[in-house]
Amino acid sequence: MVLHLAWASLRRHTSRTLLAILGVAVAAAMLLDMVMMSTGLRESFRELLMSRGFQLRIAPKGTLPFDTDATIADVGRIVATLRLNDDIIAISPVLGSTIHVPIGPRTFTSATLGVNPAVQGDYDLVSGRDPAAVNEIAVNDDFVSATGVKVGDTIQVSTGYDPQLRTYSDSRAMVITGRVRFLYGAANQLATAMNLSTVQEMARRSDKASLFMIKVRDDADVEEARAWIERAVPQVSALSIATALEQVDQRLSYFRQLAFILGTVSLFVGFLLVTTLITVSVNERVGEITVMRALGVSKGHIVQQIVVEGMVITLSGAAAGLALGLVTARYLNGILASFPGLPVAIDFFLFQPKAAWMSLGLLSLSGIAAGVYPSWRAASLPIATTLREEAIA
Amino acid sequence: MLVQIAAALLLFQPPQQRTIAIDERLAADAGIAIGDKLIVSAKPGDTGGDTVIVSAIVKRGADPAEIARSEYKVRMHLDHLQTVAGYGDRVDRFAVATRGDSATSIALRDINAAAFGFEAHLSRDIAVGTSRTFQVVSRFHKAIGVITIVASAIFLLCIMLLKVEERRRDVAALRLMGISARTVVKGVVTEAALLALVGSALGVGVGWLASQFINWYYQGLYRTPLYFSLVTPSIVTFAVALSLVLGIVAGLLASLRLVRTPPLALFGR
Repeated sequence: MVLHLAWASLRRHTSRTLLAILGVAVAAAMLLDMVMMSTGLRESFRELLMSRGFQLRIAPKGTLPFDTDATIADVGRIVATLRLNDDIIAISPVLGSTIHVPIGPRTFTSATLGVNPAVQGDYDLVSGRDPAAVNEIAVNDDFVSATGVKVGDTIQVSTGYDPQLRTYSDSRAMVITGRVRFLYGAANQLATAMNLSTVQEMARRSDKASLFMIKVRDDADVEEARAWIERAVPQVSALSIATALEQVDQRLSYFRQLAFILGTVSLFVGFLLVTTLITVSVNERVGEITVMRALGVSKGHIVQQIVVEGMVITLSGAAAGLALGLVTARYLNGILASFPGLPVAIDFFLFQPKAAWMSLGLLSLSGIAAGVYPSWRAASLPIATTLREEAIA
Repeated sequence: MLVQIAAALLLFQPPQQRTIAIDERLAADAGIAIGDKLIVSAKPGDTGGDTVIVSAIVKRGADPAEIARSEYKVRMHLDHLQTVAGYGDRVDRFAVATRGDSATSIALRDINAAAFGFEAHLSRDIAVGTSRTFQVVSRFHKAIGVITIVASAIFLLCIMLLKVEERRRDVAALRLMGISARTVVKGVVTEAALLALVGSALGVGVGWLASQFINWYYQGLYRTPLYFSLVTPSIVTFAVALSLVLGIVAGLLASLRLVRTPPLALFGR
């Protein structure tokens, strides 16, 4: 009965109801997007950092991995020191550099990582094998597309430029052993991987690394291991997933705050829209409500009917908003994905069912709450006086 | 003899201590003042570095590229930094001033023709290249802005329709008194336009206050003189025009529907 009356009332003003549902849908979509953005980036980054099980990163003191050109010296000594800690089960030193690859009339410039293929956590092998020997190189798909090379080809790789001779220096022939997908690679970035010692030699950075990736035992305390590393190797900063996320939070706090502000505004707009609509609707139907009260319909029953009206608008709007929100999130993510240097695997908008249901649930609750006061006020009007006023009107 | 003494005095003068300039963030965070002595070194934890005197505290520029970076900045004399960093006679880049646009083109061509292991770029091109991040943020803001405008437009339409719908009885009474439908529509549309105008004026005020708060908050958070939010005349004009158009459209639609309904039906008879 309550549902039937609520439905009849909503159908009486179809255009108004549809407009309200549309308004709630846009507010719900915005709210969903903002919730996805506030939690998505952090979660996506955490998943990326944990994708290969390395819980710690070591970077030059006071920097973040690959944030500057600074390198860590004495790699061998640091590895020996780190091995003293029984909780550390894998150490992967990485050195980043730039290489130049002349192919035909063109010279391609690519990022390169020097790694130890046995313990590396920077790429997934797509085809072929790791670059184990000193004259081997693995390349990513962007490199293959840009240069037209294939696995098994031999290419000339240089790391320096001789200003006197105006030619690339430190050049050597390298065999492409495999195609790889870099976990932290940016979109359209030409990238390659080589053996660490090869990059160190070619870049003239003997015994140096840009960062270390560290895996500790599952039952070990990661924070304890992090503190131990900083004590044992004072020239580095050790970052756990938690500290890395803190840094990301700090750098991208703008997006979280924007998400919070716009999310709150969306929730408020949704609430305001339903409140206004229900209030006007109730004011229009004061006579009708009073007649129902005079016929013996209970106050609670009337409140129920009006609250159901608000609920129908909010739930319909939230359902439409869910679909609209997912579409707009995809579009907005596409914009932010073009951030220079952002790893392809990072999503600004990540759909997390729990957060999404919570936000839409909150919007629905606010819609329900929006109907309570106006309906209670209307149902509480003095019956005789209101009927007389309505009759005169 | 005097010349010899003067030369000897000059030779035995203690070496002048080098000076550095630090940014205001570092000065505030580390409690450093002008005249303080510091040890600078390229290696972390190296106590045997070079002792220098802080000669200036530099205000940070309004550079968007530095917003999210919390690092400190120290300015040293080039030769001093080359020594401290063990960088030899090298630099990262040269900034070159020319006598004008035509001279710039010639200089660019000549430098690149020499091409001794480097490449010359126009400052404008570098600015475009390094501002890609902000172009992305700007596109994102525009997209969010469009969604917000759609949401506000629907909200405004809804409110205006409801507001006009509330006038059912007034319109019915006017029509029964013989007032023409045209006059009624004009009246309702004028009222809706006025309402939209007053509402948008209030909105501009709220927006300006919010903008002040945003700038105050983010300038403090990121410790930068950058402006994060600007209420420009074009934005105000757009906002007012949009709400006015929406108000008028909503008023027109609702009033046309009302005048087409028989007055007694509007009374519910």
